[in-house]
Formats: sequence, structure tokens, C-alpha cells
Amino acid sequence: MAKLLIIAEHRNGKLSDATMELCRIAKEIAPGLGLEPVAAVFAKDDSLAKEVAKYIPEVFAVCDAAVEGYTSDAYAQAVKAVVEAKDVKGVLIPHTYDGVDFAAKAAMAINAGIVSNCNKAVVEGGKLVLTRNIYNGKLQETKSVTTDKFVVTFEKGAYDPAEAGAAGAVSTVAVSFTASRTKVKEIIAMSTGGVDITQAKVIVSGGRGLKDADKYKDIVIPLAAKLGAEYAGSRPVIDSGWVEASRQVGQSGKTVSPDLYLALGISGAVQHVAGMKGSKCIVAVNKDPEAPIFNIATYGIVADLFEVVPGIMASL
Amino acid sequence: MKIVVCLKQVPDMESKFKIVDDKKVDEAQIAFKINDFDNYAVEAALQLKEKHGGEVVIVSVGPDRAAKDIRQAFAMGADWGMHITDPAIVDGDSFVIASALAKAIQSIGGVDLVMTGVQTEDLQAAVTGVMIADMINVPHCTNVVKINTADGKAFTLNRELEGGLNEVMDLTGPAVLTIQSGINEPRYPTLPGIMKAKKKQLDVKSGADLGVSASSRTAFIKMFVPVSDTMAEIITGAPAEAAAKLVDKLKNEAKVI
Repeated sequence: MAKLLIIAEHRNGKLSDATMELCRIAKEIAPGLGLEPVAAVFAKDDSLAKEVAKYIPEVFAVCDAAVEGYTSDAYAQAVKAVVEAKDVKGVLIPHTYDGVDFAAKAAMAINAGIVSNCNKAVVEGGKLVLTRNIYNGKLQETKSVTTDKFVVTFEKGAYDPAEAGAAGAVSTVAVSFTASRTKVKEIIAMSTGGVDITQAKVIVSGGRGLKDADKYKDIVIPLAAKLGAEYAGSRPVIDSGWVEASRQVGQSGKTVSPDLYLALGISGAVQHVAGMKGSKCIVAVNKDPEAPIFNIATYGIVADLFEVVPGIMASL
Repeated sequence: MKIVVCLKQVPDMESKFKIVDDKKVDEAQIAFKINDFDNYAVEAALQLKEKHGGEVVIVSVGPDRAAKDIRQAFAMGADWGMHITDPAIVDGDSFVIASALAKAIQSIGGVDLVMTGVQTEDLQAAVTGVMIADMINVPHCTNVVKINTADGKAFTLNRELEGGLNEVMDLTGPAVLTIQSGINEPRYPTLPGIMKAKKKQLDVKSGADLGVSASSRTAFIKMFVPVSDTMAEIITGAPAEAAAKLVDKLKNEAKVI
């Protein structure tokens, strides 16, 4: 039977959650497509492949010094080799930093269409229908692939991870790699030091809607002080230098899960939501009623935050 | 250095998106601008040009209205551009658009570096830059947050990773870099820049002019407004009144303060 292949993701010898999420998706959609769910793990040995085999029936391990660390050249070559050797029809890849770096290249290598950054996959009449966010999450679209082979990447956290079960089969696939044109020197932590916002019970977070650094300081910091909270921000606030990088919440910053997360002027892009959706209670204040943040908030106020925050201050 | 920046005009994400016939948004209610990530790519290219000399060429796929934002990049300091307005390309998927951009880059010739945003704000696919690199057979780096080069040929790059990590990597150009927001502070056009931009060369090309023969590998089905099963309880009233109600709910209902 032809196969539906997931590509495992790992860093520092540890599998990412996205890997187990893909295992769930593959097992869910493979039967409707008439495919067998399998995984591939590219690493220096097969220890992580054995770990992935707890979540999916069959795993192919490519064990080679060329994939001891990640490079797009080696990953694309490894995907192509496994696809050709094992009768693979579809490839699922996490839409993460590494996934974004090699998925489109892998699709090119196997002449497949790619639909990226999906959050849902269903099979309708034997055809794979993929849902993805567009316009910063304000709308969604559905797409399909028209080529014989397909590559799909999935948003991290869109599905729950698969549960571990009986150990599946692990076998190795040999790949003759050509030298990577990129060379990784090191992986470094950028925001070392600074405040640790991950321990805070209450977080007041500001976004682009704060307009400028002065307004951020005048609105967010006093409210945080009054609530005994930490203050934080979404990516545009950190990019603009309104507040230090150690206070960034989101995919590229910190993941937080306080009792209360107050999102002021934050639209709720997926990358931000990934870092705070585990919060117990989420409050969104935004003047745009269509901002996606309202889709995940507990309470919402559709109004100008500059009028709402003084009201909150007065009521506390 | 000869640097090509691939730029897309996108809707302002704060626009009101009204869907027409389940398949497109009503452009009458939309303001257009340069894709935010591409704006950082333009600035990064201009900084390299200032250091190493050469020129910055803007290449864009989009309808006639996109010319306004190509000229915005000219006003920032880009030298000239190529605008692919052909509907067969504009309406194609990422593979078709990447094919056209790759052909355009090859037609310009002698390009040392291609830069573009990590993704577009409207379609959020993050695949076009990587496809271009593959099509013109050069290495790439995505999510670039730092660029170091002494000679415009050998690059040391920081690739952003999850949780505040960066990968530091080396590659030799020509190459494709997809630029992450926050890498620099994009400049605003000056008045003389705006005046000069009006006279800069902008070549309009069709797919046939560039020899593009690609067809879409994916199909669009429909678009819709997402439905959430965890929609917020919206607190209504004048701002002060809503704020008071919110504080009451946080104290007595959610019990989180």
C-alpha cells in the first residue's frame, strides 16, 4: 500500500510536540486516502525513531552524520530518498522554523504541490481538503493539491499529540547525501537574562494597538503594577523596541500560562496565540470586532483600549 | 552587489474583509500596502547596497494597483523594478508565482542575493522564497534575523528558531534569504526620494515575456469567516461601564484577581 509519511522534528535529542501532533493527523486521514501512516526520522542513530514508533505503526530511520544536525539540503534529500524507496504519496511536515525551511524544497524535489500552514485536514470523497488561515487569521480558506504527490505543513498545536501505544516497526533507509551548501556554526539563546515572565500569575500584554513606546509605558506598565502583574508584549512591540525581548510572548518568545492574560491591542496572530492559549482566563481589548483574539478569549471588550484601560484602573 | 527583492502588495490587515461569492474579498473596502515582511527585506537590501555598492531591483507579481507599492520601495531607495501583471501568473498558486519570480531573477542576470519577506501577511504560506532558491539552484536561509558579510559573497546569518533561539549559519552567495520582521528599522521615504521614484524604470512583463510555463499544483476551494467554539463573552456598554463589568467578572466569576 502507498504511504502517508510524516517527518519527525527534533532538537538536542528531543522530539518536538509537533511530531506527535502529525502522528495523530496521519493516523486520522490515512485510511480515507487509502494510505498507510508512517514516519521518517533523520538523525545520527535510530534512538529517536524507536521513540516515534510508539505513536505510529512504521518508522523509517535515516541514520547519517549528514542529518545529525538540521540543514535544508540534507532534509530535502532525505525526504526524496524515503519517498522514492517506500512508495510515499503524501508527506506531512510541521509548520515550524525548521519545517518552513525545508518543506517547499522537499515538495520541489518530489514534484509535489504543497499546501502550507494548515490547521485542519479532512478527506471528502477520497480527496484531501485542507483548511488554513489567511489575512492574519481573520478569514480561512480550503485548498487541495492537484499533483499526484502532495506535501502539507501543519500549524503547531492545531491538533493534540497522538497517544503512545504499542511499539511500531523501525527499519533504516540508506541515503547518499551530497554536501550541504549551508553550514551550521552554532545554536545560541538570544534573550538570556532579563525577567522570567513565565512564572507570573497575571500578565498584562500589549500589541500594535498601543501605537508607540510612550503609550505602551503609560498604559500597560501602570495597569500591570496595579494588578501585581508582569507586563509583556506581542512581536510588533518587541520588534519596535518598546519593551525588551525577554518579555515577548509567542512562538519566537516565551510560552506562558498565567491565571489571567490581559491582551491589549493584540490582534491574535497564530504565532502569538501559540504562546498564551494555555492561560486560564484571557481578556481581549481591541477595537476591531473581527480580531482573531476574540476567538480564543474568555472575555472581550470591543472598544478603544485607551478608553477602556482607565476604566479598569478606576474599578480595581 | 546586485540584490533583487521580491515584494508583494497586500491588504492592510486592519481592513474589513467582506467575502464575495465564497472566493474573494471585496477590494472596495481594502487599503493596500507593502507586505510588512517585504518592507524589512527592502531595508536589509538597501543597507547592503550602502555598504557594498551596487543596485537593488524590486520584482513583484501583482495587478496594476501593486505599482504604487513598487514605487514606494523606489522612494525608499531601490533602483528599478520589474512588475509581472499577467493574470495567468497573478492568479496562480505559490508554485506559479515562484516560477515567474525565478524567471525574472534569471532574466536580470548576475544577481548576488535575492531577499524577500518570510511570508506574506495575506496568504501566510512561507513557501515562495524557498521555491525560488530551488528553481534558481542556490542555497537559502529562512527567518533571517541577522546578516553579516564582509564581501557581499560569504554570509554569516542568524536564522530565528523557536523559544528565543537562533541558528548561526554560513553560506556563500548567490542565495535567497527570507527576512523576518524586527531585523532592522525600515526607513520612511523622503520627499526627494518620492520625487525620484516617479522617474525610476519599472518594466511590465507577462509570463510569456519571461518564458514561464508553470501551472498551479494546488487548487483553491473556498474562503469563509472562521467559526470559533470558544468565542469570547463580549462585554458591552460604554468603555468605563464595560471596564467595571469586566473587573467584576474577573473578581467574582473567573476569580483570577
